[in-house]
Amino acid sequence: MKNFYLFLISLFLISNSIAQDFDFNESKVSIGGYGEIHYNSEKIGNQPTKSSLDFHRFVLFLGYNWSEKWSLKSEIELEHNFVRNGQGELELEQAYINYHHADWFGFNVGVILPSIGLINEFHEPPLFFGTERPVYHNLIIPTTWFGNGASVYSFIGGFDIKLTLFETLNSDKFSFSQGIRPGRMKGYFPDASRFLYSARLDYLNIPGLKIGGSLSFNNAKGDSTNTDVIISEFHAKYVANDITAVFEFGNISYNSGILRQSLGFYFDLGYNVSSLFDWETKIQPFLRYSDINTASKTSSGGLNEKLYHFKEIMFGISIKPIEQIVFKLDFSERTRESDKRKSKFFNLGAGYMF
Amino acid sequence: MLTVTFFILVLNLIVLPQSIKENVDRAIENCFGKSIRIEFDKLKIENELKKSIEKEVGQKFFSEEVYLYRIQNESDLIGYGLLDNVYGKSLPITFLVLYDYRGTILCSEIIKYREPYGGAVKNKEWNNQFKGKNVNSDLLVGKDINGISGATISVYSVTKGIKKLTLLLDKILDR
Repeated sequence: MKNFYLFLISLFLISNSIAQDFDFNESKVSIGGYGEIHYNSEKIGNQPTKSSLDFHRFVLFLGYNWSEKWSLKSEIELEHNFVRNGQGELELEQAYINYHHADWFGFNVGVILPSIGLINEFHEPPLFFGTERPVYHNLIIPTTWFGNGASVYSFIGGFDIKLTLFETLNSDKFSFSQGIRPGRMKGYFPDASRFLYSARLDYLNIPGLKIGGSLSFNNAKGDSTNTDVIISEFHAKYVANDITAVFEFGNISYNSGILRQSLGFYFDLGYNVSSLFDWETKIQPFLRYSDINTASKTSSGGLNEKLYHFKEIMFGISIKPIEQIVFKLDFSERTRESDKRKSKFFNLGAGYMF
Repeated sequence: MLTVTFFILVLNLIVLPQSIKENVDRAIENCFGKSIRIEFDKLKIENELKKSIEKEVGQKFFSEEVYLYRIQNESDLIGYGLLDNVYGKSLPITFLVLYDYRGTILCSEIIKYREPYGGAVKNKEWNNQFKGKNVNSDLLVGKDINGISGATISVYSVTKGIKKLTLLLDKILDR
């Protein structure tokens, strides 16, 4: 009997020592962040050229992991240097508890980013072409789109799946010129009697390629309006063999009100020319074509459906001395569909992430 | 009562340490086949060597030691395995690199991933890029290793981690 107990105790000690051997996790605080400064110059139609210098975003990431499975992730953002009289913004852009059970199941709850489009969740400056984010990600998918909610995710066999329950949009604020963008509640006391439901599926098993899409539904409500909004989007990004190619297409339909549809797409094609010369600094010239119409269908029809429709061609360069730092330069010309008015933009920028 | 205690203790032995240890054993068998013998050792890295590798790669080691596996068939030593961790955005990524006896990478595998983003770094196809690489390879993202959209931080961390282990093994084999 004594021997048997000794055996049990030794078994327990062995099991614990093996467990400790392979327990690599330690509770710890982690910090990170990103930021970007921009020089923007624009000439809209015949108006005189306007230019500005703007430290657009300064963001600090703070995380803490209590255990291997439970952690906190947060991001605080200051936009345009400081905040006064409704100008500039201080935002709690992310603050969520993450439970990561295994690759096939985890969830987040708190201030989250809905998984819609390529850039909303991955918006650090070195990750996209152009000084400013693509205009598609301003007017069709309104990045950075953050707010209160919860999501569950799963990564199985190359498929990355995410289901999100997210705060509602305010339909009173939808506009011809900006679609759903002004309707974001940014976590500020959103109406909790309704939610935005979103499902996103990506496939990642082809080297260098991410391809997928999302479908979201929201019965959006304001003080005077109530509209069913359906957001469907497709996205694909290929980064391999020194080529970067991106394509995104998004459609937003509204079942009532004067705005009935917002539609847009863009594609990027870039090449890392430094590979030809074996340079360490990455130099990537790129071309972008965008077609955006935030009021592609309206209940009134006519001129409104052309007034907010434009096509844009952009040429630019991204220079990365190291992967986390980028210098950017781009020229673009935007042509409005209704009267062929042309606007010209020139931007310079510097950004970082860590 | 005794049976229950016994059962709990055995369960403790099986369940607790299982995921990492078993995943390592499975990965080694997948790479080298079943008729092998595995010897496991913790390898403390000498301070000077540690610093020089960290400087060359631009990433610190997770700790003072890595886990070394010697893989043998019936008569000969046929390869090595090194298990280590790198940090993703904030949590450790546990990964294993398996080498032939000369230090050329045969297989690499992410043993445990703990972050909500960037899980695609576990993809077999991405890991297959390391096959055939050795101490003379660049092992640089964007050069001989392609990235993954949405897993940028993990891709850079793991690639640097694999480079560190490859340099370390080369020094071990030199001796």
